[in-house]
Amino acid sequence: MISVAEHKKPQYRLASEKFFTPRKLYLALSQHTGKPSRPCVKAGDMVPEAAILAERDGLISSHLHAPSSGKVLAIEEWYHPTLKRAPSIILECTPEPKIYTPRNGVEKFNKKELLDIIAASGIVGLGGAAFPTHVKLAPPEAVDTLIINGCECEPYLTTDCRLMVEQLEQICRGAEIISRIIEPKKVIFTLEDNKPEAIKKMQHMLRTRTNALPSAKLVVLRTAYPQGGEKQLIYATLKRKVPPGKLPFNVGCLVQNVATCFALYETIYLNKPLIERLVTFAGDALNTPKNIWIKIGTTLKELFDQKVLFFKEEPQKIICGGPMMGISLNHLDYPILKGAGGFLFLRSTHSDEESACIRCARCVDACPMNLLPLEYAKRVKHDDYTTLEELNIKDCIECGACAHECPAKIPLVQYIKIGKKYASNS
Amino acid sequence: MQVTVSTSPHLKSNIKTAIIMRQVMIALIPVVIAAVVFFKYRAIWLMLNCVLSAVISEKIILRIRAKSTSTKDGSAALSGLLLALILPPSIEWYAATLGSVFAIVVAKQLFGGLGSNIFNPALIGRAFLMAAYPKMLTTFVEPFAVDTVSGATPLALQKFSHITTSSVKLFWGNVPGSLGETCAIAIIIGGVYLLIKKIADWRIPLSLLVTTTCITIVFHWYKPQSGSILFHFLSGGLLLGAFFMATDPVTTPVTKSGRYIFGVGCGILMMIIRYFSGLPEGMMYSILFMNSLTPLINRYTRPKRFGT
Repeated sequence: MISVAEHKKPQYRLASEKFFTPRKLYLALSQHTGKPSRPCVKAGDMVPEAAILAERDGLISSHLHAPSSGKVLAIEEWYHPTLKRAPSIILECTPEPKIYTPRNGVEKFNKKELLDIIAASGIVGLGGAAFPTHVKLAPPEAVDTLIINGCECEPYLTTDCRLMVEQLEQICRGAEIISRIIEPKKVIFTLEDNKPEAIKKMQHMLRTRTNALPSAKLVVLRTAYPQGGEKQLIYATLKRKVPPGKLPFNVGCLVQNVATCFALYETIYLNKPLIERLVTFAGDALNTPKNIWIKIGTTLKELFDQKVLFFKEEPQKIICGGPMMGISLNHLDYPILKGAGGFLFLRSTHSDEESACIRCARCVDACPMNLLPLEYAKRVKHDDYTTLEELNIKDCIECGACAHECPAKIPLVQYIKIGKKYASNS
Repeated sequence: MQVTVSTSPHLKSNIKTAIIMRQVMIALIPVVIAAVVFFKYRAIWLMLNCVLSAVISEKIILRIRAKSTSTKDGSAALSGLLLALILPPSIEWYAATLGSVFAIVVAKQLFGGLGSNIFNPALIGRAFLMAAYPKMLTTFVEPFAVDTVSGATPLALQKFSHITTSSVKLFWGNVPGSLGETCAIAIIIGGVYLLIKKIADWRIPLSLLVTTTCITIVFHWYKPQSGSILFHFLSGGLLLGAFFMATDPVTTPVTKSGRYIFGVGCGILMMIIRYFSGLPEGMMYSILFMNSLTPLINRYTRPKRFGT
């Protein structure tokens, strides 16, 4: 693991704002890992807020709800950060704010009832992978430890940090729901030591709320990248290693992000599906960075058009996600997906010219999966894809730590992506 | 709006190849100062000669190879400087130039240039001169001498005449020897700087020095006239080799366990040469030999992937 420049100032201190008045929403049917959802509305339909727009298709899929009341304009291809273009429901908003009535008798719900509510709520992992939460909460093997992930190791991003400072009680209740479902022996909240305010609140909360999560404790980790990755986090907190090709439940763990916990709270207690999320907007091309609650499907353009965000200078780079693993975008018409924790607008491109590898092995030392990134780059450059699989290229999580450390500025992740593609074809 | 689209990561550290080379040169400053103090103008001329011939020959070869890379990364200058530091101060200028050109053209560029060479260019340059001008490479001058007063190196004195030089003299470097190899304290300061700045990995110097120390302990106990532990530690090319030659990233293993093997291998080979061969010193050959084993070491010391 490596240390990276954090760039979390000043947004880690900025209270979250709200932006709930988009004119149009572009809701991709692929908001999550797994099969895209199946639309159950058609063009011209009027829908109220929180109505189901598209249904889960198969087990590993997720519902999609209307973030705002409005009229379905069309179901057609629209820009999508990872898929470039993907079928999306386009909704013209007619703001009629819905008042959510809290659910009664939550304490008495059994596991199945809770899981059914979660499955109907469209909640996916909000840490970035967007894996459907109802699937993750039904592991095929017993889980003894629940880890609540508040590491947020990507630079710039501060949504988890703000959420823990502002909504800790709710996060805690979300964690309780999870622990009622999977019945772990231990609940561990994990944070990195670069979030002192959140740590303080968390310590206070764990002292005062001992009855609800009696087995909960806090583990403060030394800040490192990519510690927020599931396998890395499990190792850092419990020294358990998840074998290649296995999942956390294979070593008796379940990891949930704090933002997902908050979404679970809203769904279980307030009867509100996942229709908005907290997003960090940062980068040196912006006038001021912001943490904003945004309706899923809002485009970046709308935020600038409605003067929520301002450019200080033309950005050279737009990134969906964090700077280490995020995807670079080519315009502002992209919508905000459920898994997007941040958008960055950078003035510098950080695209130094690639020079020769001097075999310094900084990439080897940086790799959290103990791989040899320089060997992949060398082979891919020479079109030699035969030994990549033998060198475990498939284990690469593309965290970018190697390329961050490389003094020759070799785009190692790019070579590895190419290598993975051809290694599977050969 | 015109934006750049590229693969992640979009954030990169400030470290660059040129910075690494510059840091090594900074680490060599104490050694260079010591060389100038002990060998005066000879040191300055020798270093200038080697550095300039290395840089110029690299420029020419890059032009011939039509490579867009430049000599700005400082790697050629560094190779030239390192070569100067392991040559006898009294070497004729043409021999030094030839060695420097050979190091860059044959040992580095013919193998594919920066990052592709198997052997340490500076050491190959010296090995070449050892074969071409053996007399010149084994004639050393006394430090502070105005005229050429030849003297034997401490290792040669120990080996062939059983005269032990005092460790104090070795520590400060007031002995005949290669330009940058005599002053132990200067090398240690530079070496520690490299390790603190994380420019060089500590595994190779540590394992190399521990190995040689262990071997000398055994031999000194068994045969006291073979030279004391401190004597072997401070004399010859051991320290300069351990900190500046055996840590060359290009020609040493990339795996952590491989680096230990490399260091131990260098240490064993060097002590074998010092004790049993016709040569008083063996740092150069031992590192070159281990350089040749580096691909093999890399192959058999691949780290186990996470979780297995």
